[in-house]
Amino acid sequence: MDKLIDLGPEFWTAAGETLYMVFFTMLFGGLAGLVLGVGLYVTRAGGLLPNVVVNNVLNVLINFFRPIPFIIFIAAVQPLTRAVIGIGIGTNAAVFALSLAASFAIGRIVEQNLLTVKPGVIEAARSMGAGPWRILTTVVIGEALGPLILGYTFIIVAVIDMSAMAGFLGGGGLGYFAQLYGYRQFEPIVTWAAVLLIIVFVQIVQYLGNWLARKVLRR
Amino acid sequence: MAIVSLANVSKSYPSPERGAPRIVAVDDVSLEIEAGEVTGIIGYSGAGKSTLVRLINALEPATAGTVTIDGRAITGLPERELRAVRLGIGMIFQQFNLFEAKTVAQNVAYPLKVAGWGKTEITARVAELLDFVGLADKARAYPDQLSGGQKQRVGIARALATRPRILLADEATSALDPETTQEVLALLKRVNEEYGVTMVVITHEMDVIQSIATKVAVMDGGRVIEQGDVFDVFSDPQHASSRKFVSTVVQGVPSPAELAVLRERHPGRIATLSFRDGDASQARVFVELAQAGLEFELVYGGINDIRGRAFGHLTLAIRGEQAAVDGALARIGELVQVTEPPADPPAGPSAGDGAETGETR
Repeated sequence: MDKLIDLGPEFWTAAGETLYMVFFTMLFGGLAGLVLGVGLYVTRAGGLLPNVVVNNVLNVLINFFRPIPFIIFIAAVQPLTRAVIGIGIGTNAAVFALSLAASFAIGRIVEQNLLTVKPGVIEAARSMGAGPWRILTTVVIGEALGPLILGYTFIIVAVIDMSAMAGFLGGGGLGYFAQLYGYRQFEPIVTWAAVLLIIVFVQIVQYLGNWLARKVLRR
Repeated sequence: MAIVSLANVSKSYPSPERGAPRIVAVDDVSLEIEAGEVTGIIGYSGAGKSTLVRLINALEPATAGTVTIDGRAITGLPERELRAVRLGIGMIFQQFNLFEAKTVAQNVAYPLKVAGWGKTEITARVAELLDFVGLADKARAYPDQLSGGQKQRVGIARALATRPRILLADEATSALDPETTQEVLALLKRVNEEYGVTMVVITHEMDVIQSIATKVAVMDGGRVIEQGDVFDVFSDPQHASSRKFVSTVVQGVPSPAELAVLRERHPGRIATLSFRDGDASQARVFVELAQAGLEFELVYGGINDIRGRAFGHLTLAIRGEQAAVDGALARIGELVQVTEPPADPPAGPSAGDGAETGETR
């Protein structure tokens, strides 16, 4: 316990790093994933802007990257990270790898949630003379907002999980903290302190997500 | 000049199986719809009714033939121009298809926003429409807080928002209970009568045809096999398929199986009398029977009323001396059409005219 008190400053820095990574991953990956998911949704056969070629390219791209375990993905993507961020290690490099990996997963989740919008509702909007982009932005997104919020909540929790691996390239965070000061130094209390804080983060995110979705869905 | 005109219009899709012939949903249909008419499109499911109405607002582009709306051929127009055409054609649906995430007022306002109306005009128009459909108090409610009938009234308000001259209804009352159906039909009737909106109404319910349609088109296998005044088509269908369909919605002539049951239960001669508006009244027919001293009972059938004109088939079991029955039926035969089903159905083609028994398919 004393050990944990001694490590106080490092603990809070690590917590800050985790929040930093999750926030920026959701910002960049969330947006990229939204674009990917919307792209998949609108280009599918019978969609708002059907396009077989684009749809196939997006599908193959996502299916190619998604199954790669994140710990391997970080290493594999490092040359690209270096090209974009300028450096292959550190918190920002971790955010880049996280954003990239998350965007593929988010793309699928966005696509799936948009598909829950009933085709009849889209047909109704078409019958009123609305064009594809108007339907997408004013009907489809709104109708799917509840499930989308829950989908994003799920992803935030997954990103908190993935961010624990950021230590692999010097990104810091609670996962790294638990590994370095808890596991390697035989201090289970330190490990558990990190685990508890992660659980608290997850609970807060899930609670807010559920609350917001309920508000949007009015039930 | 017809407001909607279809000339040899077809719609086919490529078959999902490779090399198989294309699936034809609508097959060489020609149909003229006059302004102010309410045209019912009837037929079994899969007959192509839904596709046919979607050709009118080009939700489905025709693959052959020409669709003309208000004198303008819309077939082959680019999507952007079709959107402008659709602003002049409202549509309501069986499942209502309301935007669940928007309030009632926002639902009704949506087509107005698409049409580019100003904010104050939209507010005024939405209030006017909700008043018209009797839902002024529900403006801020969400669709999942409404009953089925209320949802369809919102659907109607939304479809009428841009003051379209044409309204398409795809089984608009099929998901509603009978009482609510009447309520919605009464509203549609007002829309037609007060605003002169031309309507094309897909249905399989006799109620809908009876209460609002003026014209009817019967579809089968993608074709319009019969069209005309509702009364003519229903009281005297010409095509075997229309006869079959009409007999499922209007209780008419007993089928061979029903006839066998009737014969078992009711002794006497079975005869079907077919009444049509303008023929002799039922009273005169019954007086003939009574004067001949015959006993009879009504065993099957009914009289239908379409916009004040009556038609129907009454099947009687008549008991008495053979000669007296023959004489009475001969005299009645001069007043209305009399059909005597053969004693041994269903062997051989029957003499029944307009009856299901008359069909050999």
